[in-house]
Amino acid sequence: MASVEFKHVEKVYSGNVHTVKDFNLKINDGEFIVFLGPSGCGKSTTLRMLAGLEDISGGEILINNKVMNELEPIERDIAMVFQSYALYPHMSVYQNIAFALKLAGMSKAEIDEKVRPVADMLQLTPLLDRKPKALSGGQRQRVAMGRAMVRTPEVFLFDEPLSNLDAKLRNSMRAEIKALHKKMKKTTIYVTHDQVEAMTLADRIVILRDGKVEQVGTPREIYHSPANKFVAGFIGSPAMNFIPVALSKQEGWHVDLAGQNLNLLGDVDDNQTNTKATLGIRPCDIHITPDLLSNPLVIKGKVENLELLGSTIQLTSRLGESQITVEAPSSHIVNEDDEANFYIDESRLHMFNDQSGLSIYKPKGKPESVVSQ
Amino acid sequence: MLAMRRISWGKYIFLILVAGFVLVPMFATVLGGFKSLGELRTNPFGLPDVWEFEYYAQVFADGSIWLLMKNSLIIAFFSVLLTIIIGTMTAFTFSHIKFAGYKYIYNYFLIGMMFPAAAAILPLFLKIRDLGLLDSLSGVVIPQVAFGLGFSILLFRTFFEQLPAELFDAARVDGCSYIKFYWHVILPLSTPILATVGVFVLVASWNNYLLPLLVLNTEQQYPWTLGIMQYRGEYGIEWNRILAYVTVTISPAIIFFLFAQKYIVEGLTGGAVKG
Repeated sequence: MASVEFKHVEKVYSGNVHTVKDFNLKINDGEFIVFLGPSGCGKSTTLRMLAGLEDISGGEILINNKVMNELEPIERDIAMVFQSYALYPHMSVYQNIAFALKLAGMSKAEIDEKVRPVADMLQLTPLLDRKPKALSGGQRQRVAMGRAMVRTPEVFLFDEPLSNLDAKLRNSMRAEIKALHKKMKKTTIYVTHDQVEAMTLADRIVILRDGKVEQVGTPREIYHSPANKFVAGFIGSPAMNFIPVALSKQEGWHVDLAGQNLNLLGDVDDNQTNTKATLGIRPCDIHITPDLLSNPLVIKGKVENLELLGSTIQLTSRLGESQITVEAPSSHIVNEDDEANFYIDESRLHMFNDQSGLSIYKPKGKPESVVSQ
Repeated sequence: MLAMRRISWGKYIFLILVAGFVLVPMFATVLGGFKSLGELRTNPFGLPDVWEFEYYAQVFADGSIWLLMKNSLIIAFFSVLLTIIIGTMTAFTFSHIKFAGYKYIYNYFLIGMMFPAAAAILPLFLKIRDLGLLDSLSGVVIPQVAFGLGFSILLFRTFFEQLPAELFDAARVDGCSYIKFYWHVILPLSTPILATVGVFVLVASWNNYLLPLLVLNTEQQYPWTLGIMQYRGEYGIEWNRILAYVTVTISPAIIFFLFAQKYIVEGLTGGAVKG
């Protein structure tokens, strides 16, 4: 049973490099939290501060309501899996897994009693006598996980554990991590820059940029109700289309989109005084339709470029000045230079304030969107 | 193609020449012990016409050589041991712990490398005398360790810094203190550099002449380098005896080198290629 709490945590490196700024987060027992962000956003640093491998410049980190700031890693009851595995090259698989127990002064019999079940669970039993250099990448990763599991810690920390593996192995290891978490129900914090890993593994995702939390939410919330333009553009592949528009209010809100005046069915934040905004729409929420020009959200455009990706096609077109990407099922027959009708799904529109980047639009019939901290 | 072949021929010729510079004197030394004085003068490099075993036999029969070898061995053993223990610990500190002024202290150690022991003969003698170490083996060992330390720390530190930093993180999470990390992880991973430094120190200590000459007075304490001078004095210019004697005395160093050589290449080039 372990909760983790970050209270106004700061990290400043010498030379005044402010890596983590006022980081606040409460993690419940058994939760799977993913820190997601571009490289250099402070996600690994935050994790290392929790592990006790980096000093905390300000604020407090609590595990089970106890302040951890000054404790050594071993006293925090955590275990960590590293990106490069960090196995001890001179020790066998068995010795690698058993090392922490040996340091803790356990007897040989006790160690054996703990190592064997872990090795079984991770299918490492036939490899116990091998040295790390005689293992494949996936096997090394499993040894690193075994080394963390054998100590039965309260909190598991993963620092980009899959980024050294090839795509196929990454998928299967991801599934293994998910299954292990289900089985052990331990609080887990996982750092990655891969949004697929984040979306599939997390109970909640924490999106970071430049040392600041941009949004905390379930994968569904993050994807469907991004709190700001950065999150909207960061999550989802291909990335969301952003189109500068002019907003106006006369019996409901309107946008001027490439010369067409569109009625918005949802609500724009009433405090919005600026008439300029950025409209966001995901490529998969723009559909190619037969003639339906009566619908106000259908826009004509010329197909400029077309890529067949298998089950989908990705095409680019132009809305006024801005280029847009559209993803459609590959059953559509479209050719380059064709004129096509694009139907924009109004319920999936996003609108962002140009200055703050915050989401200011709530489509009709949509639950309250999650606002960033 | 032709150019390539020419280069590789050139390489072989160069290597054979270099090997010759080392091996020819060595064979001449080994074989010289089997020759009579007259033959040694007329045929210094070839195989002996008549194999004379008496000179080697005399070297072995003279009990003093075993005492000399034992003294050399004790001096060399403790020099290597202390250099490795002190050197690795110091280098580990410099590579892992950043404290105020560590760069100055590190450079202070390195400056020692530029200082030839021979230039310090007089102050060294006075210091050894003040410490009461004259005419004792530790009076040879301690200065040897001190003079070898700069070089050893340089090699050790470079090697330690090439070990992945995440290894230390992992060990800390597993519950290692600095000392435990040094003992359980760093030392076992450092065999190549330990062998390299070990060989350098051992060979330097084995062949050291000046320092024992300065410190030791009693014949009971002499290492073989001093013993050989005595030998030479006794038998004048009987080079065949001296060659036999040299052959016997340098063999432990050669055996140690052969034993450790496969690590040495690793130690000198370690970290150059991702392992």
